[in-house]
Amino acid sequence: MNTAKRINRKYKYISLISMLAFLGIWYLATAVLKLVPAYSLPDPVKVITTFVQKFYMKVPDGATLLQNIWASVKVAMLGYVFGVVIGIPTGVAMGWIKAVEKIVRPVFDFIKPIPPIALIPVMIVFFGISLQAKAIIIFFSTVIPCIVNSYSGIKQTNQIHLWVAQTFGATRRQQLFTVALPSALPMIFAGLRVAMGSSWMGLVAAELLGSTSGIGYMISVGRALLRSDIIIVGILTLGIIGILISVMFDLLEKLLVRGGSEK
Amino acid sequence: MKKSSIKQKAGTILLPAVGFVAILVIWWLLVSFTRIGLLLPTPLEVLKRFIYFLGNPIGKAFTLPMHLLISLRRVLTGFCIASVAGIIVGISMGRFKPIEAIVRPIFELVRPIPGVAWIPLAIVWFGIGETAKTFIIFMGGFVNIVVNTYAGARHVDERLMGVAYMLGASKIQAFFRVVLPSCVPYIFAGMQVGLSTCWMAVLAAEMVSSFEGVGWVIIAGQDINDMAQIFVGIIAIAVMGLLLAAFMRFMERILCRWRERGA
Amino acid sequence: MSRKAVIECKHVSKTFYTLSGDHLVVDDLNFTVYENEFVVLFGPGQCGKTTVLNLITGLELPTKGEIIVAGEKVTGPSPKRGMVYQTTNLFMWYNVMKNVEFGPSVRGISKKERRKKAQHYIDLVGLTGFEKHYPVQLSGGMQQRVGIARAYCNEPDIICMDEPFGHLDAQTRYLMEKEVERISSQEKRTVVFVTNNVEEAIYLADRIILLRNLPTSVKKEYTVDLPRPRNYVSPEFLALREEITRDMDPTL
Repeated sequence: MNTAKRINRKYKYISLISMLAFLGIWYLATAVLKLVPAYSLPDPVKVITTFVQKFYMKVPDGATLLQNIWASVKVAMLGYVFGVVIGIPTGVAMGWIKAVEKIVRPVFDFIKPIPPIALIPVMIVFFGISLQAKAIIIFFSTVIPCIVNSYSGIKQTNQIHLWVAQTFGATRRQQLFTVALPSALPMIFAGLRVAMGSSWMGLVAAELLGSTSGIGYMISVGRALLRSDIIIVGILTLGIIGILISVMFDLLEKLLVRGGSEK
Repeated sequence: MKKSSIKQKAGTILLPAVGFVAILVIWWLLVSFTRIGLLLPTPLEVLKRFIYFLGNPIGKAFTLPMHLLISLRRVLTGFCIASVAGIIVGISMGRFKPIEAIVRPIFELVRPIPGVAWIPLAIVWFGIGETAKTFIIFMGGFVNIVVNTYAGARHVDERLMGVAYMLGASKIQAFFRVVLPSCVPYIFAGMQVGLSTCWMAVLAAEMVSSFEGVGWVIIAGQDINDMAQIFVGIIAIAVMGLLLAAFMRFMERILCRWRERGA
Repeated sequence: MSRKAVIECKHVSKTFYTLSGDHLVVDDLNFTVYENEFVVLFGPGQCGKTTVLNLITGLELPTKGEIIVAGEKVTGPSPKRGMVYQTTNLFMWYNVMKNVEFGPSVRGISKKERRKKAQHYIDLVGLTGFEKHYPVQLSGGMQQRVGIARAYCNEPDIICMDEPFGHLDAQTRYLMEKEVERISSQEKRTVVFVTNNVEEAIYLADRIILLRNLPTSVKKEYTVDLPRPRNYVSPEFLALREEITRDMDPTL
């Protein structure tokens, strides 16, 4: 007689039915009733077959799905790592050193609202359609949230904790490493997560606008050829990778950020 | 006393200026004395062009402010629809278990897909007109607003609901006087993030397919290899982004006044 | 002396069914509270006092037995039964005035009338001049005053107070005890006050009902007929305090 569990299970069934209904309606509207032309929205079975086929077939964009994923992930990692390595120290310096804050903050405030997407043409003019161009776009998408979060993480350090450290004779430098940084860690971590999301978005935009490989490129080829099954496979792949990344971050956060994050 | 306050004032004005001046000088030096000058205009050229475009058309018909207004109108249309829909979906998911069970799996499928990834599909579905752009902008903002509103609706203090019922409130009154106000800070956080992703989405959409708007200004600059025009577009975007962010902060101050301790 | 009974608890039991098993929290509880009486439910630690209040206000329903308030059987929450909480539970997005007039407002009383009423209770609890303040701008004691005014302003048959000063510091607590005594002598109401502080109980109560530790039932009743305002160190006060402490169930 466990009512709470029974109700939970009931909602799980509803979720399952809802999912099946969604697929059912999609199938009915496309494959059976043909309400929309196949080039506009293929039926779910077609999407699944294309998805499976893309694992070994190189048409129409010249690479298998895994090759495309690797091409995208490679660029994303490159830009992301650079963004993190530069962004976090910059943010920490801005939050900890008054002079740096005063000089860099206004410039940063001006740069912050520029969507990295807007820089794509600049990079294409500079570097052509290349790995560097995309990596720099992703760098910008990463560096801004990293700076924002590590800056505000340091800024939100509890003044009392700093005073406590001072009364124990900690130097300014020791205060940073023993008090400010650890207390900013959850914030910085949240920044890494946001950065991952925005760099993923930057990557897709860069690949749509100028690229010769990657999932974004595959999607834009799909569009050019009116192969909406390819587009949807691409979008779903992006979504799945997005989920994997966020699961990975959940695990990392559990491992690294102790003492609870700010939620 | 007086001297130090003058010194302080000088610090708050001078140091930020140092940052901007340094960037402009480095830019100017790079352009004048290195090969980057072949690609990049000087800051002065960009400024001249910016002022020129304020009164003269870029492309065929529109001046820079007109392009900005066109983009702004698109953003606001998509953003408003996304806000209304996002708040409704978020709150109903957070407050009604059956709706949560039905909607959540489908939403979880859509959530990890980066907003710009919808561009190709939107073009296949709706052509290159305004509908496609509104859809892309909508998708950009919708997800963020739902996620936040949903979190807010789930965090409504159940004891306060009890208080309201005990004081004689009906379900509808409890909704409007307890659920909605306690969601407002969350909704607002979602709308702030949403507005910036909408702004990003409009640029991407205009860069992929459009004949006007700031995104087009930038991409047209790329097409005719006119770096100054690209920079004019980027600066216009930054200014607009700053204004939008300031507007959102102002609205937040008004709507979330009850959270401030001071005075 | 025939007094009108306002709350009648008749053979009330409450069992909670949880994943870890069934918990009998209230076992055959019987007591009566009369009109305009200030009754303190006093008991050790976590003895289920709050559950008793939840049963009276109708937030929870008894497993066995029944509770009758002002002639009606309790079947759910009702504005006729007001509550002041341990934590303030104010509507943070409303200012003091709007918090106090919440009850009359949702019951559709005209703005002019409810403002007048709310102002009366704001004055009564000593918050005149703070009508436009938001809860975050008030101290803990002031927030608790708003909570009291909000409960009174709805003009319920009974007012339940669940350890309302539990979170206040000692100074504020003494002050608030005096304030509650003043308010309840100025505006006569039937009050059920829950506390685990024996001094607070004797200082405020017309009658103290001592509860057993889990499962809760009535162990003993004391009528306190010391003159008001009471003196915390008078011999009678101390003697009663001694007696109640001796009778109380031990806790962990």
